Amino acid sequence: MRTLRASRSPRLAIVAAVAVLVAGCGSTAPSASTAPAPSVAAPSVAAPSTAPASSESAAPGASASVAASAAAECGTYAGPPAKLTYAMWGDTTELANQQKIVDAFTALNPNISVKVTVADWDSYWAKLQTDLAGGNAPDVFLMDGPLYPDYQTRDQLLDLSPLIARDGFDTGQLVDLAVKDFTAPDGHLYGLPRDLNTIALFYNKAMFDAAGLSYPDASWDWAKLVEAATKLTKTSGDKTSQWGFYTETSDMENLWSSLVWQAGGDILSADKKTVVIDTAEAAAGIQFLQDLIYKDKVMAQPVAGGTGDMFENGQAAMEANGSWLVPTHEAAGINFGVAPLPKGPAGQATSVNPSGVVAYKGTKSPDAAWEFIKCYTGPKLQAMVASLKASMPANKQVLADQYATSFDGGKTFADALAYAHLKPSFKGYNEFNSTLQDELDTKVFNDNQMTAKAALDEVAPKLQGLLGQ
Amino acid sequence: MTSTVPVAELTGAVESPPRRFRPGAARRRSDTRWALLFLTPTLIGLAVLSAGPILATFGISLTKWDMLTTPQFVGLDNYVRLIGDDRFLRALRNTVFYTVVSVPLGLALALALATALNQQIRGIAWIRTAYFLPLVTSATAIALVWLWIYSPAGPLNDILRAFGISPQRWVADPTLAMPSIIAMSIWQGLPANVIIFLAGLQAIPAEYYDAASVDGAGRRSRFRSITLPLLTPSIFFTGVLALIGAFQVFDQVYVMANPGKPGEATITLVYFIYEAGFRNFKMGYAGAASWIMFLIVAVATILYFRTQNRWVHYQ
Repeated sequence: MRTLRASRSPRLAIVAAVAVLVAGCGSTAPSASTAPAPSVAAPSVAAPSTAPASSESAAPGASASVAASAAAECGTYAGPPAKLTYAMWGDTTELANQQKIVDAFTALNPNISVKVTVADWDSYWAKLQTDLAGGNAPDVFLMDGPLYPDYQTRDQLLDLSPLIARDGFDTGQLVDLAVKDFTAPDGHLYGLPRDLNTIALFYNKAMFDAAGLSYPDASWDWAKLVEAATKLTKTSGDKTSQWGFYTETSDMENLWSSLVWQAGGDILSADKKTVVIDTAEAAAGIQFLQDLIYKDKVMAQPVAGGTGDMFENGQAAMEANGSWLVPTHEAAGINFGVAPLPKGPAGQATSVNPSGVVAYKGTKSPDAAWEFIKCYTGPKLQAMVASLKASMPANKQVLADQYATSFDGGKTFADALAYAHLKPSFKGYNEFNSTLQDELDTKVFNDNQMTAKAALDEVAPKLQGLLGQ
Repeated sequence: MTSTVPVAELTGAVESPPRRFRPGAARRRSDTRWALLFLTPTLIGLAVLSAGPILATFGISLTKWDMLTTPQFVGLDNYVRLIGDDRFLRALRNTVFYTVVSVPLGLALALALATALNQQIRGIAWIRTAYFLPLVTSATAIALVWLWIYSPAGPLNDILRAFGISPQRWVADPTLAMPSIIAMSIWQGLPANVIIFLAGLQAIPAEYYDAASVDGAGRRSRFRSITLPLLTPSIFFTGVLALIGAFQVFDQVYVMANPGKPGEATITLVYFIYEAGFRNFKMGYAGAASWIMFLIVAVATILYFRTQNRWVHYQ
């Protein structure tokens, strides 16, 4: 769960693990970036337009959980002794973190024992499908927001709504967008969000100080980003020693979906039946990213697997990316701040992607499985999720009280929920995504073969065909 | 030279020619019976673990099936759609390109290397060991090293720069991506082929060379007239394995691609099958693609075997 994105690639996970080792395992010690100069970061956190909105949305859930019934609390399982298997994707670091959370759960529920299994991103899904096909799936398992419909619509997941109603569990205590992502077309919940990630702008304070530039804040727009990134790019001859900007182009979540929304476009229509990625607005968002690489030249040309995170390596002054990178950047010893993504022509927008815990429909212990999911989203275990800083807890109260105050930038990530769009989530997401991403990688990002609009016009009919299947 | 018994045994299987005439039909029958008896465990394994799934895959290929809900019979629909699927055709093209380039090049290099390693010089055992290291190194470690070699600031580009050539984007550039992956694969596959060639070389009796030398044959003509013909069984054998292995290329492409997602330039057949079945919930479609690949490999192997009489010399 630590680095959703990094975990998808075994290779990147290894690189990340090596980086952590080299950096001296600073994950548990209070890191450099939390301590210094909170006053410097204060202006960027106090984004006037966004802060009130998000605290309003967090408030009702926090107060409602006080009034919730006793059965909604963790540790109320009264059934026979049960054994659960909990499957997750990730690496060994994430497994160790999850094991601690699971240990806390079993301490609260001594009648339930939990075996945790871990696999890298790709193996996880291949194995899960095979296990489900064989009727031998884990009782509870991790689910990525965009892929949820593929499993839910195929009738593989346990309907949690009756159990939620039975125990009087208040889903209002969880981030609304994340709950929405796990709400099926029938209005029922077949899973609850465990944690989520939003996208913001990391910046290297030392590089900004050296260039005499003021730090990014909520007032920034695209033009301001290009202006600052240009000043921060240091080139001599054909070699660039420092880039102004870095992001990952290989998935919509890292940045480009946010740019599409900031430009006033979208990927699918609201009913998810029509592809709208080929509109002028959507194309403008992707064009902005292509221009950062090839026109403004403030970002290195993406290379498959080659460079690693240039911000983490100290080769780039800014990085637009997800909240999952916080521990990695801290371990790298970078003194960084976090600002909201710069505004586009149509205003502010970012992406949010929750991952949740679901139960297998054929589980032998549905009550124990529900107890596990219920506890995972409750304050006690969510506090442990928050303390990892590797993702944002799904519980509103823990998010606002603990995560947002635990490091410089936590509030920026949490406040971003006020203007966040859910990462698209629909049946057939994988094939749709790889078809679209393949086109953009080949022709727009990794190579300057054609404009964003031309590439999107080319791929849109194919995408529309996939939606109809 | 001739004392290396264990390695010579390796090639024994391909060296013994299929004899057409044997004295006595009774003995032939009893030979066959014994052969079958000894082969039974393998045959049972093949039937259960290979033939079964292959046939089952054919059944699956006639359905629309996501592994989780009831399959629907769709006849040959999957096959028809595959023939019009751009991504599948690209995967097919890339795989054929990979095979056609990597197999001959890999075998030629392995042969050259085996010949070099067959010399009697000091420390040859150590040198041989060094060349066999890739065989016992994990694929991921190899890929990480090669990613570094190919990276923009990596050693390969440093060498280019030293000659005043601008740095290349080895795995990111669509035209260079597949050749770069082929180069890595050849390096990775070398030791296995070198072992077999080395065994073949050491099985050639030294007397042949002695006799040829006495007759005044030079180094080159000895290689052409003795080494190469006597090595053809080994070349044939490694050729079959390399051909089938090349069609099944997956790991290298998968690891070298940007987050495990090969783009247009490097997608291969097996990756296409994996993607269709395990990412896109299209197990019937994946089954059909598997069968098309199976048929292509079978035809290619049969054609390759047909050429056997023309160039393979059994002692």
